[in-house]
Amino acid sequence: MAKNRKNQAAAIRFGPALKASFLCLLIGGSAIGYVWQKSEIGRLGQQILEREKHLTQTQNENKRLGDQIAILHSPVMLDRRAKELNLGLVPAQPLQVVRIMEAVPVLEKKGSRQFAQRLVTRLTP
Amino acid sequence: MTNKQQIRRALFLLALLLLVFAGLGAWLVNLQVLRHEELSAKAEQNTQREFWQAPRRGDILDANGNVLATSVLVKRICADPSLVGNQSAVAARVLAPLLQLNEAELAQKLTPRVTVKKNQYGRPVTNELKYVRLAARVPEETWQRVVATMTNLTFGVDEKHLTRTNRAFFRNLRQSAIFAEPDQMRVYPNGALASQVIGFPSVEESNISGHLLSQITGRDGIELAMDKQLDGVVGWRVTETDRAQRELVALRDEDVHARDGLSVVLTIDSAVQHIVEVALADALQKHTPRSITGIVMRPKTGEILAMASLPNYDPNQPNTITPETRNRVITDVFEPGSTFKIVVVSGALNSGTVKLNDEFNCEHGHFAFAGKILHDHDSQGILKTWEIIEHSSNIGAAKIGIKLGEQGLYDYAWNYGFGRKTGIPLPGEARGFLYPVKQWSKVSIAQIPMGHGVAVTRLQILFAMAAIANHGWLMRPMLVSRLQARDGGVVQRYLPERVRQVIGEKADVDIIEALKTVPTKNGTAPDAAMKNYVVAGKTGTAQKAEGGVYVSGKFVSSFIGFFPADNPELCISVVMDEPKEGYYGGKICGPVFRDIAERCASYLNIPPDAKLMTNNPSALIVENAARKL
Repeated sequence: MAKNRKNQAAAIRFGPALKASFLCLLIGGSAIGYVWQKSEIGRLGQQILEREKHLTQTQNENKRLGDQIAILHSPVMLDRRAKELNLGLVPAQPLQVVRIMEAVPVLEKKGSRQFAQRLVTRLTP
Repeated sequence: MTNKQQIRRALFLLALLLLVFAGLGAWLVNLQVLRHEELSAKAEQNTQREFWQAPRRGDILDANGNVLATSVLVKRICADPSLVGNQSAVAARVLAPLLQLNEAELAQKLTPRVTVKKNQYGRPVTNELKYVRLAARVPEETWQRVVATMTNLTFGVDEKHLTRTNRAFFRNLRQSAIFAEPDQMRVYPNGALASQVIGFPSVEESNISGHLLSQITGRDGIELAMDKQLDGVVGWRVTETDRAQRELVALRDEDVHARDGLSVVLTIDSAVQHIVEVALADALQKHTPRSITGIVMRPKTGEILAMASLPNYDPNQPNTITPETRNRVITDVFEPGSTFKIVVVSGALNSGTVKLNDEFNCEHGHFAFAGKILHDHDSQGILKTWEIIEHSSNIGAAKIGIKLGEQGLYDYAWNYGFGRKTGIPLPGEARGFLYPVKQWSKVSIAQIPMGHGVAVTRLQILFAMAAIANHGWLMRPMLVSRLQARDGGVVQRYLPERVRQVIGEKADVDIIEALKTVPTKNGTAPDAAMKNYVVAGKTGTAQKAEGGVYVSGKFVSSFIGFFPADNPELCISVVMDEPKEGYYGGKICGPVFRDIAERCASYLNIPPDAKLMTNNPSALIVENAARKL
């Protein structure tokens, strides 16, 4: 009995110690992982929120600038600017307009087409 | 002995514990089962937040995509007076110039107040005021300046030496006391251009599930007529927030984006509209009428390119909107005068009652009929049908009307669309008056052909003329070309619609030949003639009736015409109400017509009539060899 006790005291039981350590690490790691994951979810959520805000702002800015371009291009604005800058611009008179007439396409002979002839089979619809 | 006592004590303790656990169990059952609905709703109310998102109202665009009306996102500046505390004067001093408000009034708004309200049991409950509105429709840039100003605000105290509570008070005052809510504002970049067609809106607050949401609602014009299409669908988000009221995205439950309203693309061309408005403004200055209207449309499709009525208003400035600035093109009716002769003459030509060269005795300006004397402005003897149009003879038109017959005249007038709405998609259109034959007096058959005894809108008479320009086919007025989503995708396209053929091709060619004589040297509107285009048209000068009596010196003058006469591209109407300098339609409205027509022809690149072109450059012919088939 005494011998056994002596032997037991002398022997280092790594297995249970490792198991215990592993279990502790697992539980601790899981807990830390869970907390980290939660904080990541929160952090990414805030990032999503910021990006959503940024997207909305950019879309609004895009709309505003688009409207500004449209206003600057509007005939009323162009007319006003032309008058302000005293450019002497006037509408073109009919005689000043050169009209380009497109020639009527000439139909060529049927035989001169360069398309490959398709074989006529019974399956052809 | 000891054991017994110990056992007794243990049993007592056990019983006590059981009782406690039973009590706890009962309490849990009460909370989790019996009051589950109530408490879960309360818990949700405490944690969940609903955010409502107003949709952006659709734009109104012209035919070329130019913006006529758009919605701009702005801010509504609000405050929580309970966070301002005794610093309302300081906050008001810095905010008043930014928000362009009176400093004293602003300080009053920012001062904390307690309101007393009765709760559901009728007991008075005191509540600290936590929400006041300071300014509406504030641009984003101004809001950013407000934020910067509040962040850098100092109150003349060394905050490092303050207690934690006082430090929190100043922090909250800077960060949370002033806040902004999203809002939108309707903007009309071109000001008064086509204002009566576009209309104007009002901002209304609607209560959606207890949330106040400001919405823009149309009040007139396209804004009202297409309100449903322009209006979008409200979006919402059900989510949870942390203590600092920041949203916890991971706990977002419902997220439905607002659907923006559709953009309405009109047939109006803002360049043509501008041309018309400038010409009308010049004429308004020159002839000082009570009002002047102008319309430009394509007779082949019924598309309205411009519609203007002066005086008009700027929808950006609601205080300029008065009853005088209404859209008279569709709301006002008037006796058309000689322009109505196109109805009787074209009808008579179509029915074969008269021919273009048939002759009528115009009685040298005096014709007694049914106890009344009809007059012409010039003494005319024998006139052919086309000359009746050329000289605008009332007696000649009356005689043609008598020949056509009452029912025939009524039928043609009805088929041209008089006495009923044209169907233009604008609110407030008048029907005009075209009485049924049984209500006619004996003289009606002679008066109606010269444009008396009927009341028409400016749009009706224009579309009657346009029917003549379009081979006798009456078209439905087209003002909306299509509906499109914000990305430009077409949701709905509106196509030209034929209403009916009023007169046949032969009669149409004849009446056009007659109308071509009006803007000539011998006609009533030589000033309406264009340099490079053949014009067909008709003048009108109608004495105004007030209280059933014709008033001397008050006229409605008009000219309605189209060009090129043989292949009409545009039909234009100019009508002046009570012009002061001159009153003959051909004299005062003819030049305005020509001015508009020439500028529009140049802008729209309408090919001139070859026979009128002097020094005509031969057209270039580009041969495209690659297109040979």
